[in-house]
Amino acid sequence: MSRIPFSPITINWTLTFRCNFNCRHCYSRPEKAPELPTEQVKEIMAKVAKYKVPFINYGGGEPLLRSDLFELTEYATGLGFNVSMNTNGFLLTQEKAALAKKSGFKTVGISIDSTRPEVHDDFRNTKGSHKKAVNAAKFLKKQGVRLTISSVICRINHTELEDLVRQARDLGAEQISLHNYKCAGMGFTNKDELDLTPEEWKEFYLSAIALRENATDIRISMDDPITATIHKAPDQAIVKGSTCGKLSLNIRANGDVTPCGFIPVVIGNLLTDDLKDLWDNSNILEKMRNKKPKEKCLTCKHYEDCLGGCTARAYATTGDFNSPDPHCWVAK
Amino acid sequence: MRNIRRNPDIIWREEEEAREEALRAMERGGDASGDGTVLLVVSGMMHQLNLLGGEIWKLLDGIDEERLVDTLAMTFDVDRDTLSRDVRDFLIDLDRRGWLVHE
Ligand code: SF4
Ligand code: SF4
Repeated sequence: MSRIPFSPITINWTLTFRCNFNCRHCYSRPEKAPELPTEQVKEIMAKVAKYKVPFINYGGGEPLLRSDLFELTEYATGLGFNVSMNTNGFLLTQEKAALAKKSGFKTVGISIDSTRPEVHDDFRNTKGSHKKAVNAAKFLKKQGVRLTISSVICRINHTELEDLVRQARDLGAEQISLHNYKCAGMGFTNKDELDLTPEEWKEFYLSAIALRENATDIRISMDDPITATIHKAPDQAIVKGSTCGKLSLNIRANGDVTPCGFIPVVIGNLLTDDLKDLWDNSNILEKMRNKKPKEKCLTCKHYEDCLGGCTARAYATTGDFNSPDPHCWVAK
Repeated sequence: MRNIRRNPDIIWREEEEAREEALRAMERGGDASGDGTVLLVVSGMMHQLNLLGGEIWKLLDGIDEERLVDTLAMTFDVDRDTLSRDVRDFLIDLDRRGWLVHE
């Protein structure tokens, strides 16, 4: 594996844990943390900028619930960050889309999990949410903001992959991000109902990889290390296995830092700690970067590329970073 | 001769620690081509450039090929023909990927 970059490439930032939705898979519904006021968020942004982190992505909670969202984005853009966000789109009016453009958002990701409105609305527990998400995508396009569609793959949609890609393409998205189902927060509570079996994951990824290879007008992105078993990462892949803690870090609403949004282990707080110090010296990050094979991974020929798969899923289900990914379909 | 620039859509950053190490390795006569000294993100995909590639990349802000080779010759102790050839090959590769703009 190549060396770890000198600081994160992406900071995933939960500005708020509040949300106007209550989705069945959401990792962050059970999370509670006081929210930092505007000035303190800016203070942290300035500290992070010192280490030339190129990307900030606001995740959820719903970023549009922060009334200072565009002020913060304008500030972050001024510091040199490329800012993006993931939103459910419900509050993204024409006017907000114009503000997204003006404040400097490079990309906005809208969550749409099905082409069938009733399925999406039921999954997201909010009537009319599919229609609003589609409208939000159109408003963004009209303003010239680059669009990504995010879909959380699970029981409700794993067989409608081609339709999901078509829908994203028709909306003018540059990319569709197929997020693997995470057993964190509500995702853990509802995993028996919503998660796929390892065999179903394999089938899904085989179709998705085939589709990706032929897609010329839209990027199909799936950031799941478990695919290393069926598809060799490109030679230039910077790191192997999970990218959390190697290319990215997560900041919570109160400034706490975790390796990723789905691993609730706090390694410091950026109001008081230095980003580079945490990046270089955290024991937790060190453990994630130097995983040790365990159980069936010990004899698996894919270990060098897969590194045990998704560390967050392994940790959520067993409490051990080194356990094999529960989505792994490779036999014992 | 036309000036060459980096494609402005590409987000990139120098990896200072890796660069210093690669320079030290080169001074000791070792292999400096391993770790990336410049990281690029192109359409959501990450790439890395080794020491020579990274040094070329940083200089591509409206420079012609000859001046580029002159500047690199101050850092890289190789004969001019080899350097010119390596630079040319690298630029062709970057161009093929759509990572350059010619003025
Ligand atoms: S998944 Fe997103 S939209 Fe749904 S409840 Fe969680 S934060 Fe809100
Ligand atoms: S056994 Fe371990 S290393 Fe092999 S594919 Fe499964 S998770 Fe990856």
